[in-house]
Amino acid sequence: MVDLSETHRTDSGASPSARHAPSVVRARSEVVGGDPALRFDGVVRRYGDHVALDHLDLAVAQGETVALLGPNGAGKSTTISLLLGLLRPHAGSVEVLGTSPRQAVAQGRVGAMLQTGSGSGLPSGVRVGSALQLVRRLYRRPAPFDLTVERAGIGALLGRPTQRLSGGQAQQVRFAVAIAGDPELVFLDEPTAAMDVESRRSFWRMMRQFGEEGRTILFATHHLQEADQVADRVVVVNRGRVVANGPGATLKAAVATRQVCFVSRRPDEHLLDRLEGVTDVTVRGTGVTLDSLDADATIRALVRSNVEFSGLEVTGAGLEEAFVALTGCDAAPDQGRAP
Amino acid sequence: MSALVAFERFEVARLLRSWKFLAITVGFPVVFYMLFLNDHSPGKVVDGTVTWRVYLMVSMCSFGALVAALNAGGSRLSTERSSGWARQLRVTPIPAWSYVATKVTASMVVILPVLVLVELVGMAFGGVSLGVASWFELTGLLWVSAIPFAILGVFVGFMVTAETAYPVVTALMFVLGYFGGLFNPVGHMSPSLQTAARILPSFHQASLGLAVLDHRGLGIEDALVLVAYAALLGLAVVWKHRVEESRGLA
Repeated sequence: MVDLSETHRTDSGASPSARHAPSVVRARSEVVGGDPALRFDGVVRRYGDHVALDHLDLAVAQGETVALLGPNGAGKSTTISLLLGLLRPHAGSVEVLGTSPRQAVAQGRVGAMLQTGSGSGLPSGVRVGSALQLVRRLYRRPAPFDLTVERAGIGALLGRPTQRLSGGQAQQVRFAVAIAGDPELVFLDEPTAAMDVESRRSFWRMMRQFGEEGRTILFATHHLQEADQVADRVVVVNRGRVVANGPGATLKAAVATRQVCFVSRRPDEHLLDRLEGVTDVTVRGTGVTLDSLDADATIRALVRSNVEFSGLEVTGAGLEEAFVALTGCDAAPDQGRAP
Repeated sequence: MSALVAFERFEVARLLRSWKFLAITVGFPVVFYMLFLNDHSPGKVVDGTVTWRVYLMVSMCSFGALVAALNAGGSRLSTERSSGWARQLRVTPIPAWSYVATKVTASMVVILPVLVLVELVGMAFGGVSLGVASWFELTGLLWVSAIPFAILGVFVGFMVTAETAYPVVTALMFVLGYFGGLFNPVGHMSPSLQTAARILPSFHQASLGLAVLDHRGLGIEDALVLVAYAALLGLAVVWKHRVEESRGLA
């Protein structure tokens, strides 16, 4: 795992000789002050032979907004199901608000917006207003109805039958359902999946306001931009493990910081791969792209290596490249981007 | 507690507001009563001292309860499980068992007016006349003995998908109705069909009501069969719910 929180940044960032996956640093809970809102310790969860979570460690402090970023099948939804007590771990422990997930849910301190199956995730045959009223009544100390409506921006939808909502509207109503009980901790599993760009923008504005009230938010996404722009911290998961953990900006800065591109007549991949700082080599015909943790060192090494090259160019890699470098997966290339 | 009351009221209101549910639940028994009333002469004695008009009324009460229960559970339940609403309820503070309990009791709540309605139709169109005590006795008995149907409806909702719900529910309605002797006096059926009827809860539920009207007292055999059905179906629902829970689905 790469720990990219500020205090440990130098550990991994200042090792330009590191090849490929940066050096493995043991997971640390970086929660400072106060009880953590949630904590995963060595959690294992399997589905038959498939290991969905492979000794996952994760801690989120109260008031933090954290993105769980990863490709499909990385274990994001499983993580959220475990945090809600919908699933039990096969090994390790899960703690939510200082107690068990089930207890935290039963106390009404947790809200969630889960992924829906075939439908809207709302009860059919009722109006939005009465569905929301019902959910409020299931909690002992719900937020005032009007406040929830305002927070989720669904004032215009209250009289609408739940079957007659667009995908984005249904998601907004489900957000209202998630926060109706005035929870301290909110889990959102791919909350903007069915939204267009405009609804996404307003959704995240809403959610950020909600988070600013001191609540803890953990959301799963495979939209890099969302994770980067909305969360205080991004936790990248892949194959059931945390592969990186830190603020989005740090993530970008620390992993595959630069791409060194040039043209070479007979590029030798093995040679290029051994150059200082290089984490990945892509050769397309005569075009070569090197992902590098230290572009200066890589270029010096390139010159010394006597490889002939022309048209040298150095560009900053985006979060997308960081993500690919960490997970070896293209992040949802078919999906639109968050604002 | 108030949370569970709110949930119960919400479920009942949802059922009663669905015109599709009402049309099927009220329409089938009432229309069938009118249609079948003249299959035999209404005053003909078909079971002990019970006439066809009364037999059919009791049978259609049973059928109405069955239709209500299967449609209140059945596809409605499977649809909301696949849509994610059932899962959403699991992450609210109400306990996991309350989902099943609320569904069963909501079915029971809507079954009662269905029974009364069919009885009113029997009175108005079939010329059925019973003493006040008999009406109460009959209604109470038919209502309580509909519990296995309510559990069956929920069980079906857990077993089927939104796509398979309709054929399964329709098949159950007619198998339990026809072979249970609700459309035709059991005494008029062939011996093998009579044996088949004795296996089905629908036969015993109607039989319980008919026995009272025939002054045969409480049918102990009928009651035992219905209790057994309720227990078995109840266990099946609990088992299915547990399995789904452990997979994080319920």
